[in-house]
Amino acid sequence: MLLLLAGCGNDQEEIDEVYPEIILTAPDAFPVQCSALASGETFTFRALLQDNIELGSLSVDIHHNFDHHTHSTEPTDCDMEPVKTPENPFLLIRDFPIPAGQRAYEVSFDIAVPADVDPGDYHFMIRLTDKTGWQSIRGLSIKIN
Amino acid sequence: MKHTLILFFIALSTSSLAQTAHLSGLVVDENKSPLPGATIRLQPGKLAMQSNRIGRFSFTDLAEETYTLIVSYVGYETQNISLTLPLKEHELSIVLKPALQQLDVAVIEGDRLALRKQEEALNIEVVGRSFIQRNLGGSLMKSMERLPGISTIGIGSGQSKPLIRGLGFNRVVVMDKGVKHEGQQWGADHGLEIDQFAADEVELIKGAASFAFGSDAIGGAINIKPAPTPGKNEVGGSVNIIGKSNNSLYGTSVNLFGRKEAWFFDARFTHQDYGDYRTPTDRVYVYDYAVNLDENYLRNTAGRETSLHLNTGYIHDRFRSTFYLSNIHSKSGFFANAHGLEPRRVDTDQHDRSNRDMLLPNQQVNHLKLINRSEYQFQGHRLAMELGYQRNYRQEFSQYVNHGYMPPVYPEALSIPADLERAFDKHVYSLNLRDELILGRHELTTGTNVEQQSNKIGGWGFLVPSFRQTTAGAFVYDKLRLSNLVLLHGAVRYDYGHISIDPYVDWFTSEVTTDRGPISERLPRANSLSRTFNSFVWSAGINYNRNRWMLKGNIGKSFRMPIAKELSANGVNYHYFSYERGDPELSPEQSYQADLSMTWKEKKWSVQLSPFYNYFPNYIYLNPTAEHDYYYGAGNQVFEYTQSKVVRFGGEIQLEYQLLKSLRAQLLGEYVHARQRSGQKLGYTLPFSPPPSALLNLSWSPELGERLQDSYFSLDYRITAAQNRIVPPEKKTPGYQVFHVQAGTTIHIYHQPVTFSLQVQNLLNTRYLEHTSFYRLIELPEAGRNIILSLKIPVTFKKTT
Repeated sequence: MLLLLAGCGNDQEEIDEVYPEIILTAPDAFPVQCSALASGETFTFRALLQDNIELGSLSVDIHHNFDHHTHSTEPTDCDMEPVKTPENPFLLIRDFPIPAGQRAYEVSFDIAVPADVDPGDYHFMIRLTDKTGWQSIRGLSIKIN
Repeated sequence: MKHTLILFFIALSTSSLAQTAHLSGLVVDENKSPLPGATIRLQPGKLAMQSNRIGRFSFTDLAEETYTLIVSYVGYETQNISLTLPLKEHELSIVLKPALQQLDVAVIEGDRLALRKQEEALNIEVVGRSFIQRNLGGSLMKSMERLPGISTIGIGSGQSKPLIRGLGFNRVVVMDKGVKHEGQQWGADHGLEIDQFAADEVELIKGAASFAFGSDAIGGAINIKPAPTPGKNEVGGSVNIIGKSNNSLYGTSVNLFGRKEAWFFDARFTHQDYGDYRTPTDRVYVYDYAVNLDENYLRNTAGRETSLHLNTGYIHDRFRSTFYLSNIHSKSGFFANAHGLEPRRVDTDQHDRSNRDMLLPNQQVNHLKLINRSEYQFQGHRLAMELGYQRNYRQEFSQYVNHGYMPPVYPEALSIPADLERAFDKHVYSLNLRDELILGRHELTTGTNVEQQSNKIGGWGFLVPSFRQTTAGAFVYDKLRLSNLVLLHGAVRYDYGHISIDPYVDWFTSEVTTDRGPISERLPRANSLSRTFNSFVWSAGINYNRNRWMLKGNIGKSFRMPIAKELSANGVNYHYFSYERGDPELSPEQSYQADLSMTWKEKKWSVQLSPFYNYFPNYIYLNPTAEHDYYYGAGNQVFEYTQSKVVRFGGEIQLEYQLLKSLRAQLLGEYVHARQRSGQKLGYTLPFSPPPSALLNLSWSPELGERLQDSYFSLDYRITAAQNRIVPPEKKTPGYQVFHVQAGTTIHIYHQPVTFSLQVQNLLNTRYLEHTSFYRLIELPEAGRNIILSLKIPVTFKKTT
C-alpha cells in the first residue's frame, strides 16, 4: 500500500490529448468530398489546420480508387464510376511545409494534375500530425475528369 | 559437508526456548514409490507443507506434545495420524492407499494449489481443469481473464494474447510442456496457438520471472501443463462437446489414454468451428466511416481450429520419458470492413450470404510441436531434460490494394501469390537441462536453456525482416527451508543472445529525390545486422507462513533482448497509416521489480493483497512522432522504436467471504498504473494499459443429493473503469459493467462423472468497448450475449490385478 501511495504523488506533467484538426468547412476550402479536378490543370489545395499546442507535419496522398477499396472518412458517399483497371493513374505523395510553432495555419498550395492521367475515382488523403504525435486523417473521394 | 550444512541451519533456526522436537517423514504409495506434492498438515498449530520431490517432509522446532498429522493427496485416501513428540522412530513412513470413491477431489486439489502458492516467492495463480471448464472462453487466455491481474489483447471471438499487469507480447513467456512456446508473439492481430482442452493446469506468474524463464519473462510467465500420466493398467478417455450461441460455435474434443505397466499413450483431437460474432449494435464507425452490420454480425469474423495431440512415454522406477507431438491449425477471418485500421468498402451481398464463410482478408496459422521430456532420479538428484522442435507458419491473405508507390496493378511476373499479403515461417529448436538436488533443507536447481530460431518472411507486404536468433542461459536457484515458517529463495542467471538480421529490398520502385532530381528505385528496407547481447539477472524472495498469515516478498532484476521488429523495422504498416522505423542500436530492456503479497485467512473469510512496483530504465516502445516520411515512408507518419524510463505500480486484491455453508461471495480487483519518466512521451502511460477493474462474484454450491455433485450457480458482476490515460494513437475508452452467469453439475452415470457446464456471458447484451482489444481503434464493440453449453463425458476403466 505504501508503494501505491508513494507512486501517486508526482503525477504532475501536463500531457496533450487533443488531436490536430483539418477543417474543410470554409467556403473556399478545396478539395472537399466529391470535388472534381481537371486533368492538365492546376488547382489550389486550401484547408485550415489547427492544434491546441503546435502543428506537426502535413502530408497529402492522391491515389486512384478504381477498385472501390475506399478510404473515405466522410459521412456522405459520392457517385462512383464502375470498377476498372488502372493504366496510368495519377499518384502524388508529398508534404507541405508548416512553419514551426503554429497553432493554426491556412494551407494554400498549388498542385498540378498532368494531362495524360486516367480519369475516374480518386482519393485525396490528408494526414496531419501535431508535435505530440497525434494524427488526424481525412480521406476524401474525388474525381479527375 | 552435508551434515555440516544441516548443523549450521539447525543452529541458525533453533531458538533458545524450551525443549523442541523434530518431525520428518516420507509419503509413499502402495508400491513404495514416493508421492511428491502430498499435503501434510499438523494440528494444532496450523502448520502445513508439501512433500518434496522425493516424497519427504520435515517440521522443526515443534513443542513436545500430541499432534494430529493429516496427509492428503488427490486420488488417495486421506490419513489422520495421532502422534506424540518426541517420536522414537527417526522418520515416519506414511503409506497412502488409492481412494475408491474420489469425493473430496476438489477439496484436496484446492489445498494443494493453496500450498503451492505458499511455497513460491513470486506472485502466482494456479488454476486446474475445472476452472477452465467453468469459465471456458473463446481461447485459453480468454478463459484466464477472470483472474485478477490478467487481461487479454483479443481479436475476434476466437483468439487472444495474454497481458499480465498490462505487459504482453514479447514481455510474457508462455511455457507449454516445459518448452517456451514460440509463435509470432509481437503481433496483436492473432492469438496463441494453444488448445485449451489439452491444458490440464495453468500457472500464472505475475511479475518479473527472467531468472527462471530467460529473456521475455520480464512481465511474467504462463506455464501450461499437460494432463498427468495415466495410472498403471488404466484405460480411458473423454469426450467434450461445446456449443456457443453468439458465434454459432460447435466443437468437440476427444481424448483417449491408456497404460499397462511402463508404457502409456494419450491422444486428443479437438475441432471448433464458429461463425461471425454478434455485437449489440447495427452500425459501427471505422474512423468516421459508417458501416452497417447485417443482423449485428461482424462480417467475416468466422473461423475454425483443429488440433491433434499424440503423447507417448515410458515410466520405470527412476526414469521417465514422454514424447509430445501436436499440430494446431486455424483459419480465421478479419472484419471485412477494416483490415487493420483502414475503412474498406466490401461487397455486402457476397459477405452477408453466409455467416460461416471466410473470405478475404483472413489468416491461417499452423503450429507443429514435437517435444521430448525426460527425467532421471538418483540420490536426491532429479535430472530433467526438454528437447523441442516447433514450426509456426502464419499467412495473412488480403486483396492486393496498392499503397504508396506500389504499382497500381499487381505484376503477373511476381512469384508471390497476389492475395498473400504477409507470411512468417519460424523454426525453433530448444533444449533445457536441469538438475534439482535436495541437500538437507536446500532445494538447489541448476540449469541451462538453449534456443535456436530461424525466421523467414513471405508475401508482398513487408513489416519484419527475416532473421536468425540464438539464445543460451544458465541459472542457479536455491530454495531454503529456514524453519517451518520461513522459506528463502535466491537465484542468479546469465544469458547470451545473438541475432542476425537479413537484408530486404522492395519488389517495387519508389520515387526518390536526389541531387540529380527524382529517380525511381527499389528501396532497401532492412540492412543486414548482427547484434550480441549479454545479461546477468538475479532474484531474491521470502515466504513467511504462520497461522492465518501468508506473507511473501520478492525483488529481482529481469531483462529482454530487443526483437527483430524493434531493431530493423523499416516499412509502412499500411493498416495503421504509419511508417515504422526500428533502431539497430537499442539496448536490452531491463526491469527491476518488487512484489509483495499478504494473505490473511479466517475460517469464514480471507483477504489477499498483492502490490507491486516496477522500474524500467529503458523500456522499448513504438513512439509516434510528428514527422511524415516521403522517402521510405510513402508519406506516412513516422513511428520509431525508442527507449524511455518507465515506472509501473499497482496490484490485485482478493476478498472472500463464506456467507453460508454453501454461499460464497468474492471480490477480485486489479489496478495498474504506468508512467513514462523520460523521452518524448514524458508523462504518458504505456500502450494497452488495462483500466482498473473489479469482479464481484456470488457462488452457491448446494448439496443436491447423491446423484448430483459439485453443483454450482455463480454470478459475476464486472465493473471496469474508464481508461482515460492513453498515449497516441490510442483512444479513451469508457467504463462498463457486465454480468456473466455460470452454472453446472456433475452426474454419475454408470460410475462415470459426467459434467455439465452452462455459461451466459454478457447476460444483458451490453454494448461495451474493451480498451485492450485489437479492434478498439476502429470502435468495434465486444461480443453480445453468449450462451455456452459444454459437456464432458469421461470414461475410465481401471483393471485391478
